[in-house]
Amino acid sequence: MSIQVVLALIVFVGAYVLIATEKVPRVTVALTGGALMVLLGATDTAGPYFSEESGIDWNVIFLLLGMMIIVGILRQSGAFEFVAIWAAKRARGRPTVVLVLLIVITAVLSAVLDNVTTVLLVAPVTFLICERLAVPAIPFLISEVLASNIGGTATLIGDPPNLIIASRAGLTFMDFVVNLGPIVVVLLAVFTGMALLMFRKHLRYDPVRAARVMALTEREAIRDPRLLVTSLAVIAVVLAGFVLQSVTGLEPSVVAMLGAGLLVLLTRLETSTIFADVEWETLLFFAGLFVMVGGLVNLGVIEQIGNAAAGAVGDRYSGAAAILLVGSAVVSGIVDNIPYVATMAPLVNDLVAVGGDAARPLWWALTLGADLGGNATAVGASANVVVLGIARRNGQPISFWEFTKYGLITTGVTVAIAVPYVMVRYF
Amino acid sequence: MRASDLAVPLPLVDRHTTALQAARLVAREGLTGLVITDERGTPQTAVPAVDVLGLLIPGFLRDDIRLAQVYDQKAAEELWLDAGRRTLADLLDDDDLHQAALLQIEPDATILEVAARMSHAHVQIAVVKSRPGAAPLFVTMPALMDAILTLCGDGRPTG
Repeated sequence: MSIQVVLALIVFVGAYVLIATEKVPRVTVALTGGALMVLLGATDTAGPYFSEESGIDWNVIFLLLGMMIIVGILRQSGAFEFVAIWAAKRARGRPTVVLVLLIVITAVLSAVLDNVTTVLLVAPVTFLICERLAVPAIPFLISEVLASNIGGTATLIGDPPNLIIASRAGLTFMDFVVNLGPIVVVLLAVFTGMALLMFRKHLRYDPVRAARVMALTEREAIRDPRLLVTSLAVIAVVLAGFVLQSVTGLEPSVVAMLGAGLLVLLTRLETSTIFADVEWETLLFFAGLFVMVGGLVNLGVIEQIGNAAAGAVGDRYSGAAAILLVGSAVVSGIVDNIPYVATMAPLVNDLVAVGGDAARPLWWALTLGADLGGNATAVGASANVVVLGIARRNGQPISFWEFTKYGLITTGVTVAIAVPYVMVRYF
Repeated sequence: MRASDLAVPLPLVDRHTTALQAARLVAREGLTGLVITDERGTPQTAVPAVDVLGLLIPGFLRDDIRLAQVYDQKAAEELWLDAGRRTLADLLDDDDLHQAALLQIEPDATILEVAARMSHAHVQIAVVKSRPGAAPLFVTMPALMDAILTLCGDGRPTG
């Protein structure tokens, strides 16, 4: 092993540790790590921008950017608030039914939006409904974030790791829906039952308080009906673009950017509003990660590990899928699943290149493990951290262990269901 | 006219002051903000009255202001019954709100310097530096404006 490879590994592992411990902002770590890879000669100066193998994956970056712009505009419409309050009124203020409906709404939303945006949209209206019902918001918030991580698994755009996997593996939006949609529906149904069981003590019905929910006027949340109609129409077109990728040949990133551009043109909002939801730090974090992992790809480290893994796996892909799924869930519960998947994607790519179609289910094992594992602890996914912050600010703090208690149970059950699904469906 | 000529004492609060107590102080004294002291009683920062207002409102309404529209009159009035339980510590510890250290002004600073520094720092209250142990004195925005208007004369150009 050359000095260059050793140094590159030190940079990579060091960056991983710093990201996991959150001692330094993750964007700083990723960009510094990427810069060190360039300085070490692990990649040339053109590689980060132009190499499809080991550079920045612009499909992922621009897909994220396009969706952030679209969501930033859509959230101005008040549609999410309308739907949540409407659902609570349809439930006649019965906390158990409200919980079920909010779980479903969150899961569906997170399939088309990223999980952090979803919980940012749902959490405030959850507090409002819980305040009216005089029930603690914590069971609802925990259920919602767990549901968002499950729901986000179903689509290419639902969870950031899925974007990376789709781009590396050449998977389409419909590939995700067809392969992961059915299991996500099952997992969501099971999780809904679990949530009702876990939080049953907090879901007491009070007719007087329920009447206060019925007095809410959800239509007032929508101040600009034209903005709502325009946003929903463009979202529908964008989703159609994703679904029809195999027909149009347009990459999801192109569809998202075209949709964002169209929405900007039609709504004519102020620039500050249009870009309010764009998380530039997240985009740069991705860019840095791609360069860091690309350095290891260029130096042949990933290929060597891939060869070793291929040798160990042989043609036992079902066992490999099970280990990959469970292992990914464990790792993703401890560290951010984005850097984990960014590292594992080229590795799995090598395994699939060797194994062909027989090895392709490894992509689904990686997706399910990484996404569902994010539920395991309070720091397993960005959405979890965001919800804990919102809860604290609203005077109902959720401790690390309180979240993790429910997260571990949920992850255990969902992974236990996902493993046989992969075994039965693909092997 | 110098900063020391404008300096006045202000009521001091600490991080344990509730939002309701802070609001009463703002309303009674007509203050533009409140000076918060540290555990030793030393002025640490000044929070604008609008941030105190934010403390009176439920956090979820600040996160999503559209939700304020869905309450009817009766429900909206019920919400105020629970208002004000939070303390100024919630403001100081909120990562989304930047609480800068109190702007310090030399006692012999001219009105122009005071105006320039308060405008640049975007603050409505500044503390005038004093000897250790002396009661802190402050320059407030209304007092500063008043002084500036006096210096402006009748507004017609001279010469």
